[in-house]
Formats: sequence, C-alpha cells, structure tokens
Amino acid sequence: MPEQPGLAGVLVGFARALRAEGLAVGSAEAQTYCQAMAALDPADLLDVYWAGRAVLVSRREQIAPYNEVFKRYFLGGTSARTLPPAPRAMAGSVTEAALAVPLTDPTGDGRPEQAQLGMLASDAEVLRHKSFAASTEEERAALRRIMARLTLTPPKRRSRRTHSARAGRAPDLRATVRASLRTGGEPTQLRWRRRKVVLRPIVLILDISGSMADYSRHLLQFAHTTAHAAARVEVFCFGTRLTRVTRALRHRSPDQALADATTMVCDWEGGTKIGACLDEFVRQWARPGRARGAVVVVCSDGFDRGDPETLACAMERLSRLCHRVVWVTPHKSDSHYRPSSVGMMAAWPHIDEIVSGRDLAGLEELAALLPRLA
Amino acid sequence: MPTYPPRSVGHLTDILRAGSYLADRGLATALYVGITLGRPVLLEGEVGVGKPEVAKALAAVFGRRLIRLQCYEGIDTSQALYEWDYARQMLAIRAMSERALAADEAVDALFGPKFLVERPLLEAVRAGGDAVLLIDEIDRADDEFEAFLLEVLSDFQITIPEIGTIRAAEPPLVILTSNRTRELHDALKRRCLYHWIGYPSADREVEIVLLRAPGVAQALARKVVGAVNRLRELDLAKPPGVAETIDWARTVDLLGATGLDPQMALDTLGAVVKERDDLELVIANVEEITSGA
Repeated sequence: MPEQPGLAGVLVGFARALRAEGLAVGSAEAQTYCQAMAALDPADLLDVYWAGRAVLVSRREQIAPYNEVFKRYFLGGTSARTLPPAPRAMAGSVTEAALAVPLTDPTGDGRPEQAQLGMLASDAEVLRHKSFAASTEEERAALRRIMARLTLTPPKRRSRRTHSARAGRAPDLRATVRASLRTGGEPTQLRWRRRKVVLRPIVLILDISGSMADYSRHLLQFAHTTAHAAARVEVFCFGTRLTRVTRALRHRSPDQALADATTMVCDWEGGTKIGACLDEFVRQWARPGRARGAVVVVCSDGFDRGDPETLACAMERLSRLCHRVVWVTPHKSDSHYRPSSVGMMAAWPHIDEIVSGRDLAGLEELAALLPRLA
Repeated sequence: MPTYPPRSVGHLTDILRAGSYLADRGLATALYVGITLGRPVLLEGEVGVGKPEVAKALAAVFGRRLIRLQCYEGIDTSQALYEWDYARQMLAIRAMSERALAADEAVDALFGPKFLVERPLLEAVRAGGDAVLLIDEIDRADDEFEAFLLEVLSDFQITIPEIGTIRAAEPPLVILTSNRTRELHDALKRRCLYHWIGYPSADREVEIVLLRAPGVAQALARKVVGAVNRLRELDLAKPPGVAETIDWARTVDLLGATGLDPQMALDTLGAVVKERDDLELVIANVEEITSGA
C-alpha cells in the first residue's frame, strides 16, 4: 500500500508524542514505524498499536507509558493530563540551593594549586570523623567534594573470556600458527591464552527512610561517582518501597543526576520496610540475575517496621544469589559492634562484612574493603 | 510449504498455528514486520514462556534451517563467527617447500576458505534466506560480544580480515532472546524490533497444552491451567512458566488421572515447583490451588 503523506504525518506525530513522554524514539525509529505500517493495514488500530510497540518500545518499563500515549493520541482518551512539572522543578531548586551555599570553592578564582590541595586535605582531616548527621550544610558540601574523589573499586574475578599472553594455561593456536610461518612452519615458540580479569558488579541498596536520609544522601553521591568509575553499578533506594535509580544516576553532572534520582524516589524520609523491599529486590532483580557474582552493599540502620522473618528470609536468599553482602550501618563505630535493632539481628547471620557509614572514615573503610572481597 | 513472505499478520498467525505454535496478535505483528523489513526481533519475557520456540516454529513452518547460537560468558569470535582449522594449517605448512612458503600466495592459501571453520553467525550469513538464526540468551554474553553482533545484525555481513567481507544475499530471519539478567546496549536494541512475551491467558494456555501434549484431555488441561494460574498468583520465587504447565499436564495424564485432587497435585509437584521455599508455600496452600479444579 502506498503511504499517504497524511498517514506518515500522523505516525510521526505519535512518535513525537512518545518522545515527549520520555521514550527514546529517534527519527530512525519513526521511519521504521512508517515502513512497518506501509506493510500493514493503517486502518486497523490493532496493527497501528502492535507495530508501534514492536518498533518504538525497547524495554518492558516503556510499555505502560506507550499505552498511555497511544490511548491519548489515537483514541483521544480522557487521560490527556498535562505532565506535572512540579516535582522536577522542585528537586532542581533544592540542589541549586545547596549549591548556592557560600563555601571555599577549590576550583575557583585561580588560586595556586598548592593552596587548593592543602585546603582540601585539611578539610578532609577535620571532616573525617565528623558524623554526617551532625555536620552543617557547609561541611556537607565540602564532604561532597571530597567524596567525589573517593570511588568504590569493585573486587575482581577471572572471566571466561581469554586474551593472548606470554604465559597461560591454554595454547593460543591462532597466534602459534601465525608465528610458525616465519620459521618455515616449525612452531618453535608456543603462544598462550590467559583468562581475563574483570570487575565484579556492585549493587548499592540505600535506605532513605527518616532515620537514614542524611547518610543516604551522601551515599547517593558516592553511588554517582562509582557509577561513572566502575563498569556495572546498580543503585536502588528504599523506604517503604523499592525504587531503581540507576538510570537517573547516569547523568554526567552529579547535581542533575542526584536531582533526577531524588525525583524518582517518592518516599524520602518516610518509614522503613526493609524486609519487604529486600524481598522485592531479590524477586525482581537478584533472581533474574542482576546480583549474580555481585557485591551487594546495603546501607541501613536496620530499623524495620515489618516482620523480621521476611527480612531474614530475603537476606538468606540474597546471600545465596550474590558474591558478598556488605552492610553499612551508621551505628557501628567500633569493632565490638553487636546488632541492636531487631532488623539487624535478623539480617546478621547473612552479612559477610559490616562497616560504619557514620562518617567519612567509615566510607574510606568501605572503599578499602571492597577490592579485598575477591 | 506456505508462501514466503506471508501476506498479512493473520496469514502468518495461521501458518504458525499449522506448525503447532500459537502466536498472539502482538507477537505475530512483531514477527511479520521483522520479516517484511528484514529486521531482527528481540524477545524478552518471563522464564519458560517459549521464547526460543518462536524461532524453532518459524524454521519448521517455512522449511528453513535453524541455526542456533547459545550465548555464554566469554563467547567470542572464534566460537560465534569463525575459526581457522589450525591442525590442517600446520600440516599444510609442513607439506610446503621452503620456497613455496616464502611466496605471498602461500599465506593467502593458508588463510583461505579451505581452512575456515564456520561458526553459527557465519553459517547464518552464508545461508542467508535459507536460515532462521536464533541467538539465545544474549544477556548471558558479555558487552564485548554485543559489539561483535552489531555489524552482523545491521548489515548481515561479516568481515574476516584475511578473506574480506561476506554478505548475505537475503537476510536470514533473526530471533534474539533475553532473560533480562542485564540491560542490553541501546545500540543493539535500536537494530531490533522488541516484543515482550508475558504469560498467556488461561484459554490460550489450555489451547497451547492441547497442541503440545495431544494425548491430554481438554478437561484435565483446563484443570491444570487453572491450578498453574493460582500458583502464579501465589507470589512464588519462581512462578511456573508455560513449559511447566505442559509438563505437569503430561505428568498427571501419564499417571492416568483425569482430574487434579490435592493428593495427585502433591505427588506431581516436582513438575511445576522447583524451589524449596516455594514448595513449602505450595504444600501449605494445596487445597486452595486445586479447588475448583
């Protein structure tokens, strides 16, 4: 069927409406959609729907917004509500406010490098043992800058992928044959293949309930730098429910990323249901494979309003699915720490390492610990 | 043999049905568009809903060769694209005289088609329109491998430095499956059509069971599907897929039962529930699960 310009216009308009809703629909996809519809029956709304879903949707999460836009665009659905821009704008202004705090900016006005470093180092010394909860807004900003330099290095493991090497376990026949050409077909020197070393994935699960919000904001910053430094990092936030913020944290600018992540999470400083949230994490993400071979870092004080049995069960499953579980708690300040909250007691048997997330020194301890968990 | 390419979505659905595969409207549309535009189709979905079956069914109904590439960590060009036959190369070098070896032609001959071992992707590109290529569980391969795939999937061509570029005259039908254990790269997704396969409706699942396990009575199939649907509502760590439904129906049928009472369900639970924690939950609720069955 030859496509009428009218039809193409309608389809491209639909693609544009999807883009406005945040789906990654480029002009290439729109073109494919038009080609697909040329082969189908444009008068059949089911064809229009399913062809669009095959071409313009590329992950499961996009199906719901797709349906919404489809209803609105083709059926003139009553749900033609304009997007509420309020939360996004609000989150933006919060970070801007935080940014506007007058502080000694180490990258500012051409001071000598030496002074900058000195400033930063002494900052770090003073702030190292200051509890996050007790620090002032200015100190927190300074901490943020220091933490931007502190990155989490995941432990390594040997991959099944191999590369050519001088010594190794398996002979590299390809390279050996190549080399033997030079010596008249005599393989005088065997070449080898050796297994590559790759970084393990890290999964950060941050408690953002009322009792933990201050710590977790810092860890979110930490998560952002880590997500940009290491290969595979997944970040989740939870209070009463679990939210995945990995995609939001991909933004290069930390402030924008944090603002986006904050907008996605709707239960900042609410209650806690650790058990239910970890259980959801295990079912939704860990079981399908996101936590396999990974180091899972849970940051929480363990104050749980739910059933401790749920938490114990989720933690047991999690510890079986992943490589190591590290628990970061603000209450641990020395090596004689024993769990005090019911939640911590339930989780305790399934934790491999426990570190303090109380202050910068604790985070440094975490950063030093991770590479050793191989 | 049915006509290829199929005339319409309905036509394709009928062809697949004749080959014992029930495709719903969404899947049939995605496949039809994929065939018409020569684009790969990426299938994601719950475990056990028959993603690889789609490729097998397509190969069977159109009389094409099914070329399967099972992905795993560390899979690389020598396992997916091509490999040189080193043993034969060595022998050939030995057989050559010193002078012959110095000539350029000798090297060309050594790295020529004679010594090339085809692996699934090269095989599929060579076979072109005669093949259905199934790239199974692409999420198990690593990022590096996805990059290899890009050239193959966008242009259906493979470049071998020693030989040159091999191009498919007619693109093969390509089906990719993923279990979402990791996020695939956008570049790969952009080259594919996407379809999410969920659990089928109860009526369709009964149809599937009857089609796949022809000996099973309709009444029994209905009861098993009812019980499986209640299992899926039960919040299990691993909810049963369609494959499990078929297995369960077959198992119960094999034992000569015509219905599904609690005792029969307990005896045959191993066909559907494959996790210890789930087993406890199901045993506690077995009356409810088999009720109305």
